[in-house]
Formats: sequence, C-alpha cells, structure tokens
Amino acid sequence: MKIPKYLEKVKEVNWTKEQLVQFELDAKEEWESGSVLGPVHLSKGNEEQLIEIFQYVHPDDWIFSTWRNHFHALLHGISPDWLMDEIKRGRSMKVINKKHNFVISAIVGGGFSHSVGVAMALKRKGSKRRVWCFVGDMAFETGEFHLCHKYAKNFDLPLQFVVEDNNLSTNTPTDVTWGTKQEVPEDVIYYEYERGYPHHGSGNWVLF
Amino acid sequence: MVDKLTKQKEDMQKFQEAEMLKHLDLKYKNEIIRSMEWLDKKEDTIFIGQAIKYSGNAMYNTTKTVSDDKRIEVPVFEDVQMGMAMGMAFEGFVPITCYPRFDFLICATNQLVNHLDKISIISEGQFQPRVIIRTSIGSRIPLDAGEQHTQDHTQAYRNLLKRVDVVVLDESDDIFPAFKHAYERQPKSKYDSLVTLIIEWGDHYNAK
Repeated sequence: MKIPKYLEKVKEVNWTKEQLVQFELDAKEEWESGSVLGPVHLSKGNEEQLIEIFQYVHPDDWIFSTWRNHFHALLHGISPDWLMDEIKRGRSMKVINKKHNFVISAIVGGGFSHSVGVAMALKRKGSKRRVWCFVGDMAFETGEFHLCHKYAKNFDLPLQFVVEDNNLSTNTPTDVTWGTKQEVPEDVIYYEYERGYPHHGSGNWVLF
Repeated sequence: MVDKLTKQKEDMQKFQEAEMLKHLDLKYKNEIIRSMEWLDKKEDTIFIGQAIKYSGNAMYNTTKTVSDDKRIEVPVFEDVQMGMAMGMAFEGFVPITCYPRFDFLICATNQLVNHLDKISIISEGQFQPRVIIRTSIGSRIPLDAGEQHTQDHTQAYRNLLKRVDVVVLDESDDIFPAFKHAYERQPKSKYDSLVTLIIEWGDHYNAK
C-alpha cells in the first residue's frame, strides 16, 4: 500500500488490531443473539492497513464511508459504546455522526459526490481540513468514481480516495464481471484484503 | 377630417402596441431573475449547474446577473452535481442547483431520491441540508424541442420523494414567495427535509 507523499501523519492511532477484531466479535455476539433487527456488516482482515491510513486522518477531517464502516468509525474517534449502541439498534449501515464529520452511504458509490461537494466547500472556505472517501472495489470500477476522481483531481480539491479491494461486491467477484480491473491512479490509496466475514451477518444462522 | 382620422388611427395603433407590450411584460422570467438576485445577496448561497455561467439555454438568462464568483459551471454529470450540492450543504452552503430541463434531472435521481430525500431520516436529523433544485419543463412554443426535452415528470417525482418539497411555478406571482420560502423555511421535526424542488414552465418564460 502506497501513501501519497503529499500526506503527512497527523496523529497516533490508539486502536490495536486486536482491539478492532474484538469489537467486531462483540458485535457478532450481539447479532447472533437475535436482538439486532437490521443487517450487520462486520469488518475483518484490513485492520493493519486502516491503522496505518488513519495516522494521516485529522480528527476534524471528513470521512465518507460505506455500509461496512465500523473500523472507519472507530479509527476516526467515534466512541465504541456509541457505535455498539447504533449496531444494536439495527443501524450498522446507517452509522452517521455529525460531531465527527462521519457520513456513510449504503448505495454503491453514493458518497463520492458528497465528498466532492464537501471538499469544494472546504477549499472555498480556505480550510486546511481534508475529505477521505472509502471506496469498495466494485464502486472503484464505476463511472461515478471516474467522474468524481477526475473532477477532484482537476480542481485540486482536498479529497483523498482510499480503495479497499476484497474483489467482492456482495458475493459477486469484481474481476469476473469486468473481465479485469482498472489501473489505480497515483493519487489513490489502494490495498487488497481478504474479507473476514460474509457480506452481512456473521455466517451463522440467527433465530429472530 | 383626414387629420382627425389619421390621429385616431395612430392612437389606436399606440393603444394596441401598449396592450401588446403589457402582454409581453415577461413577468414570469423577471420574477425568477428577481428571486435569483435576492438569493445572490445571501452570504451562504452558491449556484451550481450547466449553462448558468455560459449561455446555452433559457435558464442562463435568469442567472446571468448573479455574482460571477457564486456561479459554478459544472460538466455534464447530473448525479454528481446533485451529490455535490448535498456535500456543500453539509458545510453550510445553500446550493441552488440548476437543471435546465426536467428530462435531464432524471439523470440525478439517484442522489435526489436515495440521498437528499433520505438523509434527514437515516441521520436521525443530524443532517438537514438546505438545497434548492431548479428545473424546467421544456418549452414547446415556438419551437418544440421534442420528446426528450419537454416532459413534465412532476407527478412521478411527487411519488418518488418522501420529504423533498415539490413546488410548481404556475403563475408569476408564485415565484418569489416560493424561492423565499425554500431559503427561509424551518424544519418542523428532525426528520423534515429542507430540500425544495422548484419546477418552472419553459413556455412561460416568453409568454407570461
């Protein structure tokens, strides 16, 4: 994984890989109890990459994430208790926290243009803050990504895209559907990982 | 006698011309211009769209007096344009995002229906972005621009949108109050949307 040279480390991340894994194990337990009446998208397998990336993310920066957002939320400083409450309320794929400038979209590529808009607003205001937009591998292949990346790059907007490639969109292999994968632009952070949990749920039957 | 008849004829001609000018007062378009100029004076407004800074469609004639630095001419990427507006609103701007024809707004339906219309609900009121969307039912007189440029989708959007306020500008007197209300109205609850879709009649630009 290459971090672009224009980025600087702004903080130490106080989460370890083991703590992140444990948080999701706790969420898994809640899910398997049958009390969570909404889909849960658990994260696993990309702890080390995200711990490294989030050293470059200022606490006041904006994060645009997806339905699989728990690690992003924790690493951006959102309270684990608050997040677990949201998960218990069935809001795993609606984790939004204005205080922390943390927004998700549960539509593929849905947050890209929001991140462009916020970045444009920050630039117009002369802010030093940055926008981080997390992108799945199938979303990375879409026209929406192409448009937003091109626009942000051409207008030098403070927007950093991070592509998280597990080669799966739900359970559909991205490389099979496209025949190949597109090249990664120089200014995009990209990493591959193996998904540790299914698309949603824990892989075990749950009785509701 | 001849002079008297000539004068009567001249008076009649003047009267007819005055009546014609009264009819061609074009109050409809002027009221839109007045609304845009009023919005321009607000510190937090920003205008986004195609042909709002460069001529190319009738809507341009209603934005050309807006401050130059407040007009962002964007490429043809309607869905990104809508998402950008939402992102800018997250950072405190009030975007007036312009789609010259209803037929083109369809290309922005993902961001309008899945995001702008739903963000107050999924964020439980943390985000209530104020966005004013302008579109126009394409004119048929004197030139009929055809099936892909003149459709009225008002009812379809009323069915699609749960929270966005959909307003049709039938009369000239409706115009300024509609834009003022869109800018000033306050939410009645945390689930309320502050997004307004304002639909103009292209044919009225040159007739009312």
